[in-house]
Amino acid sequence: MMRYLSRGWFSACLLLVAVSSVPRDAAAQDPRAFINQLGAQAIQVLGPSVPAAQRVARFRQLFQDDFDLVGISQFVLGRYWRSTTPEQQQEFLRLFHEYIVQAYSARLGEYGGEPFRVIGSRAAGDETIVNSEILRSNGGRIVVDWYVNNRSGHWKITDVYVGGVSMKVTQRDEFAAVIQQSGGQIEGLLARLRQKVSAAR
Amino acid sequence: MQQRADVSEFNDPFEDTNRGIFAFNQAVDRNVLVPVAEAYRTVVPPPARESMKNFLQNLNNPLIFANDVLQGEPKLATDTLSRFVINTTVGIGGMFDVAKLVGIPYHTNDLGITLARWGFPEGVYIIIPVLGPSNPRDAIAQAAEGFADPGNIVAGQHNVFVATIARAAAQGVDVRSRNIETLADIEKTSLDFYATIRSLYRQRRAAQIRHEQENLPNPNPFGGSDSDTSMSYTFDQRPGAAPPAPPPPASLVPPR
Repeated sequence: MMRYLSRGWFSACLLLVAVSSVPRDAAAQDPRAFINQLGAQAIQVLGPSVPAAQRVARFRQLFQDDFDLVGISQFVLGRYWRSTTPEQQQEFLRLFHEYIVQAYSARLGEYGGEPFRVIGSRAAGDETIVNSEILRSNGGRIVVDWYVNNRSGHWKITDVYVGGVSMKVTQRDEFAAVIQQSGGQIEGLLARLRQKVSAAR
Repeated sequence: MQQRADVSEFNDPFEDTNRGIFAFNQAVDRNVLVPVAEAYRTVVPPPARESMKNFLQNLNNPLIFANDVLQGEPKLATDTLSRFVINTTVGIGGMFDVAKLVGIPYHTNDLGITLARWGFPEGVYIIIPVLGPSNPRDAIAQAAEGFADPGNIVAGQHNVFVATIARAAAQGVDVRSRNIETLADIEKTSLDFYATIRSLYRQRRAAQIRHEQENLPNPNPFGGSDSDTSMSYTFDQRPGAAPPAPPPPASLVPPR
C-alpha cells in the first residue's frame, strides 16, 4: 500500500517540478533533447566504421564542448585540489582532459553503433538527471544516467553513471589511490598521467 | 592522520595483502580463465552460449526468489517465481528465456544484498583468491548460499559434487566470456587497475543494494514503450530505504 502511495506522491512531485521548471527550461534547450542529440552523436563517433584516430579527435571535441571540464577536474582531485599550485592545476587540467579522451573513447568504444535513447529525466537540486539506455546487440541493456546543469547558459555534463556507477567517483577514487601511493604528492599523479598520455599517442 | 583518512576513504586496511592476492588473481585470470573463456567463445556458437547463460541464470532463480522474499519485495519475488516456472517448462529446462519475451525481466539478487538491507555492515574490502573483490558480509553470504542452493543440495544427496563444481566453473566462464573486452579496456586505460576495480566493485554493490539500475531488465519487445515494466521497480522502494545520493533513475511517464 505504502509503495503505491509513494509512487503517487512521486509522480505528483515530478509533475510539480516539470510545471515549475518550464519557464526556465523554455529559454534554453530541453536537457533531454540535449542528451538525445549528444548520445546520437557519440554513438556515431564511436561507431565501428570510424577510424581510431578520427574517433579520438571527435570524442575530444565532444568532451570539450559538452562536459563541465573544470568542475569535474576539481571533483576528481578532491581535497588535493586546494593544495596544488596554479601551474600544477593547469597541467592537471590538460593531462586529465587528454587522459579522459583516451580512456573513455576506448572504454565506450564497444557501445559504438548500438541503439541509444533517452527514457526519462528528473531534477536534482540545480542539476537534471537524464536517464538513457543503450540496447546491446547481445540482448543486454545498459542504463546511462547523465547529470547536466545549465549554470553557464549551456547544458554541460557534470557526471555520467553507467549501470549505477559514477564515472566521476571512479576517477576520483583511482586518482586518490595514486596520490596516496606517492606520499600524498600530486606530482606522482601528474607523472603517471604524463606517462599514460604520451604512451597512447 | 593522512593515512587514517585514506584507510576509511577506501575501506581497505589490508590493501597490501589485497594487492598481493589481486596480482595472483590476475595471473590466474590471464593464464586460465581468459584462455578458457576465449576458447569457449571460439568453439561454441552464440545461440548455444545464450542458452548456457539462460540455463545458468535459471538455476539461480530459487535463491534469487528466496532473497526477493527475505527483502519483502513481492513484485520481484513474483517475477522470479514466474520466470522460473515459465523458463523451466516452456523454456525447456531454462535454456530459453521465454519469460523475457513475455515481459518478465531478469533481475539478480543475493544474500549479500539481503544482509545489507537488513542493516548488517559490509566490513572491510577484501580480495578473495580466485573469486575476487568482496567483503566479509558478501563472503559469508556467498558461502551460505553455496550450502543453501537447491541444485547443490540435490547434487550433494546424489554424491555428484562434481556437478556443483562444474556449475561454478561454467558460471565463471560464462560471465568472463561476456566481459573480456570491457575488462581489458579498463585495465589498459587505468593508472591503477586495483584502485579502479575497488571503486567499481563498491559502487556497483551499493547500486545493487539500492535495487537500482543493476540488471535493469531488458525492455519488453512487445511493449517497447517508455512506461514498460523495466523502469517501474526503481520506484518500488520503501520511503527512506535508499540512501539519498545518487537518486534512482526516474521516468517522467507517470506510473500506471
